[in-house]
Amino acid sequence: MTNPEADNGGKTRDELVQRLELMEAMIAEGRRSTNRCGWIFVVWGVVDIAGMAWEWFRPSYWIWPTVLTVGFVLFFLIRATQKQDPLRCANSEGRTIGAIWSMMGLAAVLYVGTGIFRHLAWQYSFIAGIFMLIGLAHAISAMVLRWRVQGLVAALWWAGGIAMFFAHGDKQIFVVFPLEMFFGMVLFGLYGMMLDRRDRSGLKGARA
Amino acid sequence: MTNPEPDNGKSRDELVQRLELMESMIAEGRRYTGRNSWIFVLWGVVDLVAMSWQHYSPHFGGRWAWPICLPVGVVLTIAGKVLQRGGPGYRKNEECSRVMSVWGMAGLGMGIYVAAGILTRFDWQFSYMAAIPMMIGIAHGISAAILRWRMQGVVAAVYWAGGVAILAFNSWRATNVIWLIEMGAVMVVFGLYAMRVEPTCSGGKGARA
Repeated sequence: MTNPEADNGGKTRDELVQRLELMEAMIAEGRRSTNRCGWIFVVWGVVDIAGMAWEWFRPSYWIWPTVLTVGFVLFFLIRATQKQDPLRCANSEGRTIGAIWSMMGLAAVLYVGTGIFRHLAWQYSFIAGIFMLIGLAHAISAMVLRWRVQGLVAALWWAGGIAMFFAHGDKQIFVVFPLEMFFGMVLFGLYGMMLDRRDRSGLKGARA
Repeated sequence: MTNPEPDNGKSRDELVQRLELMESMIAEGRRYTGRNSWIFVLWGVVDLVAMSWQHYSPHFGGRWAWPICLPVGVVLTIAGKVLQRGGPGYRKNEECSRVMSVWGMAGLGMGIYVAAGILTRFDWQFSYMAAIPMMIGIAHGISAAILRWRMQGVVAAVYWAGGVAILAFNSWRATNVIWLIEMGAVMVVFGLYAMRVEPTCSGGKGARA
């Protein structure tokens, strides 16, 4: 016999349904906040692929400091032109996603900046470390938002990190790095942007 | 002039209730971290044992110190979690689930990274060593942001400082000292601190600390 009224610590069925709906709405909002940031993935993916192409044709120590600076300038410029700050979100799910990417960004800047400054960027484990950091942020975000696609992207980054440990030549880096940047950054960013556009047009349609 | 009643479509009581709910969720999240802080202590001890073994008995299987100690740490963690779940009063809210996601994924990511580095013998590279405290720092940083826990934020900063220092000093002596401080001392001290905080962090008071 089941009692549809009092269930799970004195909560009624309606209360449980309401809570579930609230959680689902929060998760959906968290995903939307990631989608609104899709352009950031695209910008960094394109910037990194451009840096790798430059490195392939004319290697120099100054490539990455220059490319990363351009990336930051583009990031802040585009962010300034947006009406709504994509990293700001009203609910706790969105704030968690903001925290995940802010912490990953801060750690990546410290790691990459010091590695380049100390001339350690040639080590395979340096690139593997970058992939693992990005994969970690995707994995945590995927768990919080229960988002399978992002989970796959995390797995892709981690697979790239493992592949770097098995690399025994620059050629492999020039293959793995652009592939990761294209699939894990550019494509995921475009996918997020597409979902964001669909959401917005849906909202407009609902209001019309 | 302030109007205490209607604000943003919600009454003052509703806002106070929401705030109290948030504070209690944050406090519960911290208590959850406190309940699981034995894992920090365990891993601090595991790392100290592995480092001591490698340093003091390099000819007595020193090469195998990490490949043996790390799986032992994983087995002990899983056994402890299984025992804890079966124990009384095990409950978790949304905040706890988020913290659990953070540490679960951090553990998985670090496990993959460390295993791959050891298997392919890349564990001597400074950037390999530096990435580990960076990942632990990310997990602490996210958890600190979710739980609005300043002390955990400081721990995240300490781990990041350690990662940066390993790359900056670029020497084995410095790396060993930093590793000893970060993986041993900081891990154990934070674990013990969180254990101590857990019983005192109740009724939302802890959330303001």
